[in-house]
Amino acid sequence: MKQKKNAKALISEYFIFAIFIALVIVLTCLKPSFIQPSNLVNIMKQASINGILAFGMMFVIIAGGFDMSVGSTVAFTGILAAMLGQGQYPLIVPLIVAMLAGLAVGLVNGVGVAIGDLPPFIMTLGTMTAVRGLALLTSKGKPITGISKEYRGIAGGSVFGVPMLAVFLVIVILICSFVLAKTVYGRRVYACGGNLQAARVSGINTTAIRISTFAIAGLLAGLSGFLMTSRVTIGQPTAAESYEMDAITACVVGGVSMAGGVGKPWGVVVGCLLITIIANGLDIMGVSSHWQKIVKGAIIVLAVLMDVKGKGKKN
Amino acid sequence: MEYILEMKDISKTFPGVKALDRVQLQIKPGEVHALMGENGAGKSTLMKILMGIYSKDDGGEILFSGKPYKAASPKEAMDLGVAMIHQELNPILDMSVYENIFVGREIRKNGLVDKKAEIEQSRKLIEESGLHVAPEEKLRSLTVAQCQLIEIIKAISVNAKVIIMDEPTAAISEREVELLFGHIRKLAEKGVAIIYISHRMDEIFSICDRVSVYRDGQYIASGDTKDLDEAQLIKMMVGREITDVFPKLEAEIGEVVLEAKNIARADRKVKGVSFSVRKGEILGIGGLVGAGRSELVEGLFGMHPLSSGEVFIRDKRVAVHSPHDIIKEGVALITEDRKVTGLNLSGTVNDNIAMVAIRKLLSHGLYNKNKARSASLDYIKKLNIKTPSGDQIVGNLSGGNQQKVVIAKWLLNDPDIIILDEPTRGIDVGAKRDIYLLLGKLVQQGKAVVMISSEIPELMGVCDRIMVMCEGNLSGEVKRADFSQERIMALASAIEV
Amino acid sequence: MSKKRFLAMLTAGAMALTLAGCGNSANEGGNGGASADPNADAGKDGADTYKIALIQQHQTNAFQIAVSEAAEAKAAELGVDLTILSADQDAATQISQIEQCVSEGYNAILFEPVDPDGLGDAAKNAADAGVVVINIISACTDWESNGIAAVSFGDNVKAGETEMQNVADLLGGKGNIAILTGPSGDSGGLQRMEGYENVLKNYPDIKQVVAPADCQWDTASAQSTVESWLSAYDLDAIVCENDGMAAGANSGIIITGVDGTPDGFEAIQDGRITGTVSQNGGAMAANGIEAAVKLLSGGSLDKNVIITDNTWIDASNVSTFA
Repeated sequence: MKQKKNAKALISEYFIFAIFIALVIVLTCLKPSFIQPSNLVNIMKQASINGILAFGMMFVIIAGGFDMSVGSTVAFTGILAAMLGQGQYPLIVPLIVAMLAGLAVGLVNGVGVAIGDLPPFIMTLGTMTAVRGLALLTSKGKPITGISKEYRGIAGGSVFGVPMLAVFLVIVILICSFVLAKTVYGRRVYACGGNLQAARVSGINTTAIRISTFAIAGLLAGLSGFLMTSRVTIGQPTAAESYEMDAITACVVGGVSMAGGVGKPWGVVVGCLLITIIANGLDIMGVSSHWQKIVKGAIIVLAVLMDVKGKGKKN
Repeated sequence: MEYILEMKDISKTFPGVKALDRVQLQIKPGEVHALMGENGAGKSTLMKILMGIYSKDDGGEILFSGKPYKAASPKEAMDLGVAMIHQELNPILDMSVYENIFVGREIRKNGLVDKKAEIEQSRKLIEESGLHVAPEEKLRSLTVAQCQLIEIIKAISVNAKVIIMDEPTAAISEREVELLFGHIRKLAEKGVAIIYISHRMDEIFSICDRVSVYRDGQYIASGDTKDLDEAQLIKMMVGREITDVFPKLEAEIGEVVLEAKNIARADRKVKGVSFSVRKGEILGIGGLVGAGRSELVEGLFGMHPLSSGEVFIRDKRVAVHSPHDIIKEGVALITEDRKVTGLNLSGTVNDNIAMVAIRKLLSHGLYNKNKARSASLDYIKKLNIKTPSGDQIVGNLSGGNQQKVVIAKWLLNDPDIIILDEPTRGIDVGAKRDIYLLLGKLVQQGKAVVMISSEIPELMGVCDRIMVMCEGNLSGEVKRADFSQERIMALASAIEV
Repeated sequence: MSKKRFLAMLTAGAMALTLAGCGNSANEGGNGGASADPNADAGKDGADTYKIALIQQHQTNAFQIAVSEAAEAKAAELGVDLTILSADQDAATQISQIEQCVSEGYNAILFEPVDPDGLGDAAKNAADAGVVVINIISACTDWESNGIAAVSFGDNVKAGETEMQNVADLLGGKGNIAILTGPSGDSGGLQRMEGYENVLKNYPDIKQVVAPADCQWDTASAQSTVESWLSAYDLDAIVCENDGMAAGANSGIIITGVDGTPDGFEAIQDGRITGTVSQNGGAMAANGIEAAVKLLSGGSLDKNVIITDNTWIDASNVSTFA
């Protein structure tokens, strides 16, 4: 009986990885150019911004929350970065301002949820709308153009053939994985999501932990905004529409439980790559974007189904 | 220094309510001290003040080891040497055993979590406690009792001088209770003081050295358990004499109304059990936690697929595919976990009572609020539900009154056969007595009652017949004339040995 | 047992995906077939079949569907292998798609920029890699210096002028008007607005009694905005930046749009819309493909700005278009 349980858990744990490998094989067979280095570079670039957002989202979801506002935050911080990245300041200025602005949005979310006791969905739905308005207001509704050459170079550049965007993603992955797996803080994030009440009576400052997870999501959204502006070479108030959904999808598909307390960084990496190769693979086969949505939707449902079934029921 | 902990003249006021009024508590090192009182007496509030979850009103003082004590959060309380095992179990199911034990006070090395040391220490603690689980196992895969013991291990591991246990046996079976008592005695020998909160009289007398009694936010008295008897304690708690803890009303037993033949569940939790119950009879189902009692009645009720078995109601075969099929035949099941499956906690008393028999409350096909209100008022009176009005939110009622609401909602449907799963768990003496009397009245009206309980004295007190289950099988049946605690215990653990 | 189950799951998963893959390649067959050929260099070897990609801004309104249909027809006529992608209104997606098309060895890329300023670098990189890049419908800022070989569009400023001029004529040079715009910052919308302003300068008696409202090109949102306006203002005409919003603005006064989409024509026939300026997106796409093929086969263009003329369409001439 125990054996059975383990097998089930195993399937649910590695299911998404199997799907990923299968998809890579199928796409390679149908279209050998899929696996070419030039396309792999494309995939890395395309996965980066969503990947960074997904890692921020992972903290929030593991701690039992949910963040709808990151897409808007990317647009808003992207606008700020574009305004400050015209060559008048060193690049570190737009980077830091974008990240601080993202952090501020995250703190507002966190305070609303952890202290104001608002449901995360409602709180972040509010900031999602408001921050989008802020982006439009700051930019007066028009795209901000004229960012400096150096700034454009960040997303365009590469190190030993690896695009800079992917380098940023890898750094974020390494730091986040380390924090979640090794530090006391990481352990407590899991504890808050696993059972908030239990965490509280165990002496954990759950309010601070919950606020901090939203802050991390905001901070990384700020970083994404900075990179997004570099990639599209303008700050667009309407950019990153529904990016929060892609980030949530990457988490959920990667085995992060919406109920909180469960989720591994490598799962999110796979989830994020999976979403990217669906878009990339179907694009290079010339399949309409309408089909892509159907495939993406099916994979989300399948992944969560495996998550639910794999856990089984206790008594 | 005679006392490790002294709480003097502690008061606590919530908006509009004086929850505690100059209450006392004195705990000696190495003693097991029972806190007793009905729900709402203020025991939990007092303990929450001790744990730093609530802050007390000005005035009064707390001394710990003779020094003033002040905890602003559970963490501070634990650092000072006071730990609590909560009534509602608090495991983090998706975390491993060792992570649960050290949650909130992780062992650090160079600022990072020292997983190895945590696993090592957990293994030692688990071995000492005689539990057979691996530190890396997820709590999700453990039983409720094992989770309970993990909580206890956690409390021990903080090196607490005082451990508060709030209803630690609520969810575990008799055998595991013995195991737990073993731990408590060992702890007491080491000089740790245990504050023990429970509604179970037999436990108080078998494990506790002293007892303090509270009623309606007031301190009543303290004393050594060896100088007290059950009747005296109940009188202190309830404020009046209850001569008869298990009232038994006489009823005429008639023909068989429900017969279940060879019930077996697809998940093998029930392996071919047959039983029957007669009109006017209270049938008890005894056994250890996990013996398949709840599973049997839930299977019978159509909540889980059966692999075999037939159900006859008044000699008519009923094909049960869903609860609806059997509710139609006049059967009601009052489930074990009232908070999960029995009640809408954020609804009002009226809403909850109307939930099952809503068809009776329609006029011209629409829900009639006035009908619902008068029906609910009727049952509030009949069942002695203590609520300011039918519009009160159920979540604000005490456990005993919540249970009565669950029962009322089914009675409104006028069932002939009523199955109750642990109807008195976690409720106080007075409310328990009300429920026993109610069951007696129901059988006097010619209904049949089936009651599952883990408390053998309760079963022996109110049932006409007890069937005992063990590991999914029926291990025996005892008639009222032959009732004895030993006999029932033996049957409950018969096949296990 | 457990291993077997795991394997079974894997196989099932893989099969499901393969099936999905088959469905996709069948779909692709409709687009020209040859792109399913594993030999990605086919386009360059067989000098006759050029691989051309068309990246639309989105594919979710009648105008864009007309663009896809005309492009497919033109591709079939010229015997080129055409793949159509949709950027779903996202600049980052469009950049990714351009990069992909370059690494997939497409000979030419036609695209309608989601943002005029955001796609310049991507276009330049593609052009530097030897791909012929053409803008349709609207152009990137500084398109020539970004290596874009040609643009095929209607002039949005002119379209705006045509629309407002007709409104002015209908009003006899005097009246209260209101304007519905596309999403804030959309370049097409901004250019149409510029056209409106050019005309309004000449008509001091035509008054905008309320600030232009952003209705996101959306019919439903136009409808609710107009409903609230009519309860508060006395309007003689509502000027819309596209037909979709015009269809929603239906209220018995003068309503005009831009685009000339089938649903716009239908609304003119029903009398819900007074008139529209046909932008003929299909012709823009077709002209773009023609230009691409000409450049690929070594020819040169007379002009690298290909303007598709706009036409005022109202009840009198709609039957020849619908």
